[in-house]
Amino acid sequence: MAEVRLTVNGTDVALEVEPRLTLVDALRHRLGLTGTHVGCEHGVCGACTVLLDGAAVRSCLMFCVQAQGHEVTTVEALGEVDDLHPLQAAFRRHHGLQCGFCTPGFLMSAYELLREGADGGLGDDRLREELSGVLCRCTGYAGIVEAVQEVAREYPDGLPAPKALGRPITVRRSVPPPGEEQALAAASAAAAARGQAAGAQTHVQVAVPEGEPNETVAVTTAISPSPVQTWELMADFMRLTRCMPGVELNTDHGEDTYSGRVGVHLGPMRLSFQGAARVLERDGERRRLRAVASGRDASGSGVQADVTVSADPGGGGTGTALRAEAKLYLSGRAAQFGRSLAGDVSRGLFTEFGACVERTLTTGEAVTPRRLSGAAVAWRLVRARAGALWRRVRGPEGDAP
Amino acid sequence: MKAAPFRYERPLELVSALTLVRDPEAKALAGGQSLVPVMAMRLARPQVLVDLARIGELEGIERRDGELVTGAMVRQRTLERFAGLEHELPLVAAALPYVGHREVRNRGTVGGSIAHADPSAELALVAATLRARIEARSLERGREISAAEFVRGPFQTALEPGELVTAVRWPTAGPEDRFAFAEVARRHGDFALCGVAVHLRRGQGRVALARVGLLGVAAVPVVHEVAEQLDGAADPAAVAADVAGQLEPAGDMHASAGYRRRLARVLVERCLRQALGGPSGG
Repeated sequence: MAEVRLTVNGTDVALEVEPRLTLVDALRHRLGLTGTHVGCEHGVCGACTVLLDGAAVRSCLMFCVQAQGHEVTTVEALGEVDDLHPLQAAFRRHHGLQCGFCTPGFLMSAYELLREGADGGLGDDRLREELSGVLCRCTGYAGIVEAVQEVAREYPDGLPAPKALGRPITVRRSVPPPGEEQALAAASAAAAARGQAAGAQTHVQVAVPEGEPNETVAVTTAISPSPVQTWELMADFMRLTRCMPGVELNTDHGEDTYSGRVGVHLGPMRLSFQGAARVLERDGERRRLRAVASGRDASGSGVQADVTVSADPGGGGTGTALRAEAKLYLSGRAAQFGRSLAGDVSRGLFTEFGACVERTLTTGEAVTPRRLSGAAVAWRLVRARAGALWRRVRGPEGDAP
Repeated sequence: MKAAPFRYERPLELVSALTLVRDPEAKALAGGQSLVPVMAMRLARPQVLVDLARIGELEGIERRDGELVTGAMVRQRTLERFAGLEHELPLVAAALPYVGHREVRNRGTVGGSIAHADPSAELALVAATLRARIEARSLERGREISAAEFVRGPFQTALEPGELVTAVRWPTAGPEDRFAFAEVARRHGDFALCGVAVHLRRGQGRVALARVGLLGVAAVPVVHEVAEQLDGAADPAAVAADVAGQLEPAGDMHASAGYRRRLARVLVERCLRQALGGPSGG
């Protein structure tokens, strides 16, 4: 716990908080200031906008501890029920709200915008851009823009200060509601039991993913060992997977099924997928291996993969063209955040995989792949793009117009 | 969506912060506009969060010979409102309004955005296009890294463990320099589908320098040198088509690869024409 002292709406307050408590949760739950709303909790909707030392900020993207010594102004300070701030009055006149959820965000964002006065007025386009940090799902924005535009015209030299400053604020203690502690303890015991049960389970099943994958990648690496040598390593699945950065298979469940974890580090993001893999096909003649894998991360992200690795004679009659083709199925947060990165990241992983297979075969030792977070691997990824070591499997839309 | 528990540290001196970030489980917190959301989603769970907000050495904007030096913790909004920015760093001035929203730029920092290395970050693109220098420090040493070599992959930089960005040194514009910036996103402030920055320099009737930087179309900002083509009297449309033809953007739910490449072609042409001073095409 950390002690935080800050000024909220002109009143000095001190409270003990867990460092991970966001400013908006502190305002609402510890200071009882529920005028600030919290919507998306990741900086998209803008409902939680407050003023920090006069600047409009998203209070869900700040921890309360960061506000130490600062001055926070919330919508409660703007006006009183029978003495509205001109911005509030204009929102009411122009129907700038319906459900009211986004309203505190719009009011505080607009307050910062017009506080010093809109010198020479604001065009509608510019105003819409300035207000784009807050989302409204009811009004279609027309009333909001009209309200703010009217206030901008009425107060060219700046807005009246907030009217309701210096009210007493009661700091509430952070105590879980009665029964919650027991409920939490029971839930965590149940989760532990489930984990144990899963660990003890000997019959692990890995389904073949179905439907349209989020991403398809194909990476071909030219390596110096012969296809026959390469196949020897491919035939030993657990040893082969050690060449994949972040993969740690530790249990052989029989029937060519294995379990373990896959760690992916990407800047600040760290995912750790617990899961299993099953070999579906081993074709020694064509030196082809197909496996499916699935895993889940504690963040609620899921990944499934259908991977085929093949070792064909290399170009020019020497070495091997080691080809990895993967269909990836992402779900949960990783898919939400991933944008178009899953392909880039997997290509980087498979490129390092190819390099590691080469090192393993030429040194005859168990070689650990470099982590993707290492600059070397990432740089390889960039070079791979430039040098077209791989070719993205393109859909019909991939062609240049 | 609540962050996992962490220990919070708020050092007052750079050397204390550098000591704290040696812990591999520690993460530096600058403006938090990218880090806090991924913590809320629990895609990141640092055990120690090192808040850089009280370190005076990371603050301030300074004019030095031919460059503007911005401390790592300078807020994007502070830079946006810096008097004279549109003359000294026109490309930065043109790109900043595209960074998130006003509310995000009030907190977001210049150094934080550079160090986060999001593939669609405007400041990283502008830094790479202008060949800005990134100042980095660890307990052992201080060094400078060219922005063109700083971003190594999505969210991957040339920073080594225990190293922090301390400042960015931006070369200021000379009388012969021309710039243009354009970007298309689904919604204002959203991650860009494609963004283009152009830096052009004329000298003695020739195109002495022409750099085209692109974001959103690769894992890292991409910079193309096109001075020779333009100097050889190539049409901006032909240069744009050539640049776009070399891209291999990935498609996702927001835009297909083909659409991104087309967007790149249109925006590059538009920016080149603007920087050359002709009518904007596309």
